[in-house]
Amino acid sequence: MRGVNGTFSARARQAWTIARIELRRAFFAKRGLWVYALALLPALAFFGHGIDAKMDLARLGRGGLTDAALMNGVQKGETLDAVKARLGKPAEDNAGTRVRRVRKKGGDNGTTTHVIEPAVDARFVRMNISRPTYNGQQVARIFEFEIYGADGKQNLALGRPATGSEPCSPDQGPEKAVNGSVAGGKTDGWCANGWPLFLQVDLGAPRPVKRFVVKHASAGGGSAEWDTRDFNIQVSTDGKTFGTVATSYGAGFVDERTEYRYLVYFDGRREARLQFVDGTLDSMNIEPVLNFEEDRAVFAGIFQYFFLRLAIFFGCLGMFMYLFSGEMSNRTLHYWFLAPAPREIVLAGKYAAGLIASTVIFGGGALLAFAVMIWPHDAVELQAYWNAGGMSHAFWYVTAAALGCVGYGTVFLAVGLYIRNPIVPAAVLLAWEASSGVLPQMLQKVSILYYLQSLCPVPAPIDNDVPALIRLLAVPAAPASRPAAILGLLLLSALVLWIASRAVRRMEISYGTES
Amino acid sequence: MTAPDRSERAGGSGGATPAGVIFDEVSKFYGDVLGVNRVTLNIPPGITSLVGPNGSGKTTLMNLMTGLLHPDHGRILMRGISPRDPERLMRITGYATQYDTAPRWATGFTFITTGLLLFGYGRKEAEEKAWKALERVSLTEAANRKVAGYSKGMRQRVRLAQAIAHDPDILVLDEPLNGLDPLVRAETIAQFRAWANEGKHVILSSHVLQEVDLISDQVVLIANGMIIAEGTIRTVREEIQEHPSQYLIRCRDASGVASRLFVEDHVTEIRLNDDRMGLLVMTRDREQFARALGTIALNGHRIDGVVPADENVDALYEYLIGGE
Repeated sequence: MRGVNGTFSARARQAWTIARIELRRAFFAKRGLWVYALALLPALAFFGHGIDAKMDLARLGRGGLTDAALMNGVQKGETLDAVKARLGKPAEDNAGTRVRRVRKKGGDNGTTTHVIEPAVDARFVRMNISRPTYNGQQVARIFEFEIYGADGKQNLALGRPATGSEPCSPDQGPEKAVNGSVAGGKTDGWCANGWPLFLQVDLGAPRPVKRFVVKHASAGGGSAEWDTRDFNIQVSTDGKTFGTVATSYGAGFVDERTEYRYLVYFDGRREARLQFVDGTLDSMNIEPVLNFEEDRAVFAGIFQYFFLRLAIFFGCLGMFMYLFSGEMSNRTLHYWFLAPAPREIVLAGKYAAGLIASTVIFGGGALLAFAVMIWPHDAVELQAYWNAGGMSHAFWYVTAAALGCVGYGTVFLAVGLYIRNPIVPAAVLLAWEASSGVLPQMLQKVSILYYLQSLCPVPAPIDNDVPALIRLLAVPAAPASRPAAILGLLLLSALVLWIASRAVRRMEISYGTES
Repeated sequence: MTAPDRSERAGGSGGATPAGVIFDEVSKFYGDVLGVNRVTLNIPPGITSLVGPNGSGKTTLMNLMTGLLHPDHGRILMRGISPRDPERLMRITGYATQYDTAPRWATGFTFITTGLLLFGYGRKEAEEKAWKALERVSLTEAANRKVAGYSKGMRQRVRLAQAIAHDPDILVLDEPLNGLDPLVRAETIAQFRAWANEGKHVILSSHVLQEVDLISDQVVLIANGMIIAEGTIRTVREEIQEHPSQYLIRCRDASGVASRLFVEDHVTEIRLNDDRMGLLVMTRDREQFARALGTIALNGHRIDGVVPADENVDALYEYLIGGE
């Protein structure tokens, strides 16, 4: 110790002076507003949820209450009328109809007939295809195109010269659509994929035509999905002027109607949501409007997956990396290095400021979110929760948040002494922290998250169908005991802080424009 | 708590301590790039100007003095204290850098007061000292306005006030006269002189050569990270006696005089002024030059005046570093 100024208390006072100056910036910096946003987001989400639930309760209550036992007695498969007769007027009643256009099943076997009345004279008959299939495939397939005259017996198109769009292959040319057969497999029909899609037959001389029979893909053994959807038929006597004589749009479609009815019954606490399909109870769901247990599980999930892993992580990244690397970028760091204080005292003061600010912001954020989460629930449930250790839950959440600030803060303080750009270290650390669950036990202990998760009072909810690897990433395999977790985290932080103190002694001011 | 008294601050453990600012074979590299190379200096108290073009290493030297940079080789002692010991060094040293450090919310007064709290002064004492410092740089009127709204010259002064507020023995000032209006500049220079007379070190950097020429007790000329001359302006001049002397001649017939002078052996270079009314002559022998000039005048060339052009730092500087 050197003289008056080297005493411990003088140095502590100096560190505190530095911390006080830094605190103002840590709390009120404009660029730090997003840290508050991160910290307050869970509270805001639970507030929204609470308001929503309160409004639901009020709205359902206005609709009338139903006896709980009656509500429980509803069975799947009951008719709408039976349920309404027994339970009375529901709190909410909504109806809906769903109409779907579906393809008519069976029927034409892929063959469509188009009659024109009266007969017209035609030498050239042309089929223009605008939507070649039902499944969206842009390939036209016609296995036979038959044209009948006034007598209706002779297929005038049979064996006549036929032209059409570019065929899918040489053996699926337009002549296959006028060869009189459909049974010879896929090469027994016309297949084309060159736009515009058309098929044209030359009858040799103008002749009266009255009826067309088109045999589509399914008539030739193909999928019904490939049958022609939209097309028209045009005729001409000179091959130049064509007139439309038949049109087929969306042929083979029917409307399928389903009547839905949604009833909600409310017993003052729970709501029964009943869905009827065509008059029969199809699905039902009875659950409390405000589910305390579920809210606590959601809180545990948000706290672990969002608050610890992201909010505190990035919040500390912003706050602690700024302490050195941010000031270096702003060309203000020399102010501290020109103070009559050992560099370690500067480090301690800045660290203390970061720690106080982040703990207040994130510990406060956690506590506020917790308070807002329990706020809408009824007093009896809350009393039971307090008796069952609710207070200790709150304590451990805040402690985990505060220790999260200690852990991540220390790491980012040290990183900021070595690296100016936060993106790479943030990515590396995030990956390391996220993967700590799959690391060997020994390596897990150098991850902040490992200790923090061990402190959380309620395990984060995780679905059973989540793959084993993700489960490992989300939850530590062997959590430490709480004292061990706190000690481990503090030791880890102390080690990192010691490394930081070595670095700050060696640190030089380099703003990149020295002369 | 009160700050320790002066003897304790300056002398450390007391007794005989070197009073100079000493650089002993100091080198500093930025990666592979040379900052300063093998600098050896012993700067006595008084006003010392570090003069050199941008990028020559002036700020590097100042950062080395104040511990913001650490030398790769060599040793630095500031009145006996290593820059590695900011706790002791910064009590006797004030450094006004080129960069603003005042936070957005700070007024000139709160900024300086806050800085003084770091020295361990109580708030009242810190406020008194802060006010005194602001008085010295004539900034009391703007003391309660936010630094963020200050003009360039006011920021310059607030940095100066911050550097002097704790009454240091060594003042390191990076381009301290930049941006000051003539009146404040004159006041500031007078202040430097007063401090120098008190036995303080006032070490400043500048590239405005004329101003340091007038105010400096000694100059340190630096180029490309190397000290090329050090001492009073006159000693520096003598140090480089082997270099040619420069004279500025005013005359009506500049080209005629130039052609006469050009045949002389001792004249190494002649530059005609653009207005053809004067010329700059470099000679290796002043006496021969004087005789030659006499002969030219006798031969009917009217010479209006002859002045040595290198008695100021500017000229020296041009000699030494090749006209930067």
